[in-house]
Amino acid sequence: MGAPELLQFALAGLKNGSIYALVALGFTIVYASTGVINFAQGEFVMLGGMLSVWAHSTLGLPLPLAALIGILGTAVIGVVFELLAIRPRKDGDPLALIIITVGGSLLLSNLARHVFGPSERSLPAFTAGPSLRFLGATLERQSLWIFGLTALAVVVLTVFYSRTRLGRAMRACSINRTAARLVGVDPKRLVTISFALAAALGGLAGVVTTPLTQTAFNVGSSFGIKGFAAAILGGLGNPIAAVIGGLVLGLLESMSIAFLSSTYKDAISLVVLLLVLFIRPQGLLGRGGREKV
Amino acid sequence: MSLLREHWRKLALLIVGAGVAVVPLFVTGTDARYVLKVLSFVGINALIVLGLALLFGYAGQVSMGHAAFFGLGAYASAWVTKSLGLPWLVGLAAAVLLTAAAGILLALPSLRLKGHYLAMATLAFGEIMRIAFVEAKGVTGGPDGLSGIPYASIGPLSFDTPQMNYWLVWGVLVLAIWLAANIVNGRPGRSMRALHGSELGTMASGINITGIKVRVFTLSAVFAGVAGALYASVVGFVSPSTFSLHLSVILVAMAVLGGTRSLAGPLLAAVVLTLIPYADAILPGLSREVMTVIQEWEADVYGLVIIIVILFMPGGIAGALRGVFVRGGEAK
Repeated sequence: MGAPELLQFALAGLKNGSIYALVALGFTIVYASTGVINFAQGEFVMLGGMLSVWAHSTLGLPLPLAALIGILGTAVIGVVFELLAIRPRKDGDPLALIIITVGGSLLLSNLARHVFGPSERSLPAFTAGPSLRFLGATLERQSLWIFGLTALAVVVLTVFYSRTRLGRAMRACSINRTAARLVGVDPKRLVTISFALAAALGGLAGVVTTPLTQTAFNVGSSFGIKGFAAAILGGLGNPIAAVIGGLVLGLLESMSIAFLSSTYKDAISLVVLLLVLFIRPQGLLGRGGREKV
Repeated sequence: MSLLREHWRKLALLIVGAGVAVVPLFVTGTDARYVLKVLSFVGINALIVLGLALLFGYAGQVSMGHAAFFGLGAYASAWVTKSLGLPWLVGLAAAVLLTAAAGILLALPSLRLKGHYLAMATLAFGEIMRIAFVEAKGVTGGPDGLSGIPYASIGPLSFDTPQMNYWLVWGVLVLAIWLAANIVNGRPGRSMRALHGSELGTMASGINITGIKVRVFTLSAVFAGVAGALYASVVGFVSPSTFSLHLSVILVAMAVLGGTRSLAGPLLAAVVLTLIPYADAILPGLSREVMTVIQEWEADVYGLVIIIVILFMPGGIAGALRGVFVRGGEAK
C-alpha cells in the first residue's frame, strides 16, 4: 500500500473519529455530572440530523439556519428530557438513571420515526464543489467542516470549563459534589446544563455528518455505541481523553479496513470497548487508582 | 411467613399452574394454531424475563444484551439439530453450555468492577453477536437465517403440534420458575437481599458478592439460551434480525415493569407486554386498524413505560401488588 492510499484511510479515520469524539464528549459531560452513562446520547446525534433536515427541506430555511436549529433544537430536547425524566428521580440512583436513559433512547427514536417519517434523509454539503486533492489523497469539502467544527467545539468547551464561572462550577461539582454545594453551587442546575451541552454536541455531530452519511430515525444507537467506546477508550470523565479516544478509534477502524477487511469495521469499536472495559477500565489516559469503598 | 400463608400460596400456585396446563384443551377453532403460537412466544419471553428479574431485581444489575444469548441458544440448537442431525436434547445442551460459557466470560471481568460496567459490556456483546450471526454464514445461514429446523423431541416423544409446543415451552418455564424460586428463597437469595441493604455489610459477613452476581448473570444467560432453543424448534426458523438491541431493551422493559425482588411481577409483565402486539390472539374482535395502531406505537409505549415505572412506581407491578395485599407498607 502506497503513502497516498494510507493517507486516504487516515483522513477517513480522522473524519469519523471527529464525530466519535463529539459523541464521546457528550457521554463524558453527563457522566461527570451524574455518574451515569447516558444511553440516549446517540439519539441526540440522530435528532441533530433529523431536525436540520426538517428545517432545511420542509421549512425551506437556508442551510446555516437549519444547522443552528438542529443543534439548538437538540439541546432543548436534552434539557426537556433531563427535566422530565432525570430530575424527578431525586435519589440519583445510577441503575435507575441508566434504565431511564435506555427508555428515553427507545422513546426518542420512535417519536422521531412518527414525526419525521421512517425514510433516510440527507442534507446538501455545507460548501458545494468537487473534492480537494491533498498529497495524492482526496478529501470531501464536508470533511473540512467536520474537522473545523469539532476543533471549534473543543476550544469553546475548554474555555468554558477553564474560564467561566459556570464551567468551573461544573468541574468542581464533578470532583466533589458535597464540597461544591458547600461553596454555593447548585448541582441540580449543573446536571440540566450538562444535558444541554451533551445534546448540543450530539446535535452538532448529527448536523455535520448528515451530508456525508445520511440520517434516519434509527441511526442513534450505533453512534451511541461508537461514541461510548471512544469515551471509554480515552477514559470516562476527561474531555481531552474523550477527543483522543474518538480520533484513535476512528483511525483504528479505518486501518482495519485498510489492512483487514471492511466486514469487521463495526466490530472493531465493540471489541475495543470490551477489551478496555476488561483490561483497563479507567481508559488509556485515566489514572490507575482503585476505587475506594 | 406463617405456615397458613405458605399453604395458601401453594394452593394459588397449583390453581394457576393447572389453569395454564389446560389452556390448549379450550383453544379450538380456526385460529387455534395462531393463538397457541402466540402463547408459546409468551412463555419463551417469560423465561428470558425470569432470568432478567433475578439479575435486575435481586442482583441490582441490568443486561443490554440478552437478545444475543437468546440468539446464541437458538442458533446453537438449530445448527446441532438441523445441520448435524443430532437429537434435540443435544441441541439444548449445546445452547446451555454455550450461553453459560459466554455468560461467565462476560460477567467475570465486568462484575469485578464497581458500578454498572455489565450494562456496557452486554451492550457491546449483543452488537458483536449481531454481526457474528450475519457473518458466520457457514453456521448461521447469514442474513437469510436458518429454516427447516426440526421440532423438539425427547426420545419417542415428538413436540410436533402447536399444543405439544405450548406444553413444552410452559413445562420448561415452570421448571425454571421452580429453580428460580428455590434460589430466591434459599441462601443465595438471602445474600442477594442483603446486597440491597448494604454491599459493604454483606461483604463483611463473608459473602462473595462478585461470585453471587456472576452466578446470577450466568443463570440468566442460560435461561435466555434455553428460551432460544425452544424458539428455534417452535418457529422452525431463525434469522439475525430477531436478536436485536431493540429486543434486549424490550426484555429489560418487561423486567423493570415487573418490579424488583419478585418473580411473579416480572412474569406477569412479560405475559402482558408480549401479548400487546398480538392482542388479536386473545381478543378476536379487534379490528385490523386497531392492531395497526398498536403495532405502530408499541415501541414508544415501551420506552415511556420504562421511564414512568422507574420514576413513579420503582417497585413495578410487584411493588404495587405488595401495597394492595400487605396493609401498612411494604413487605420485607
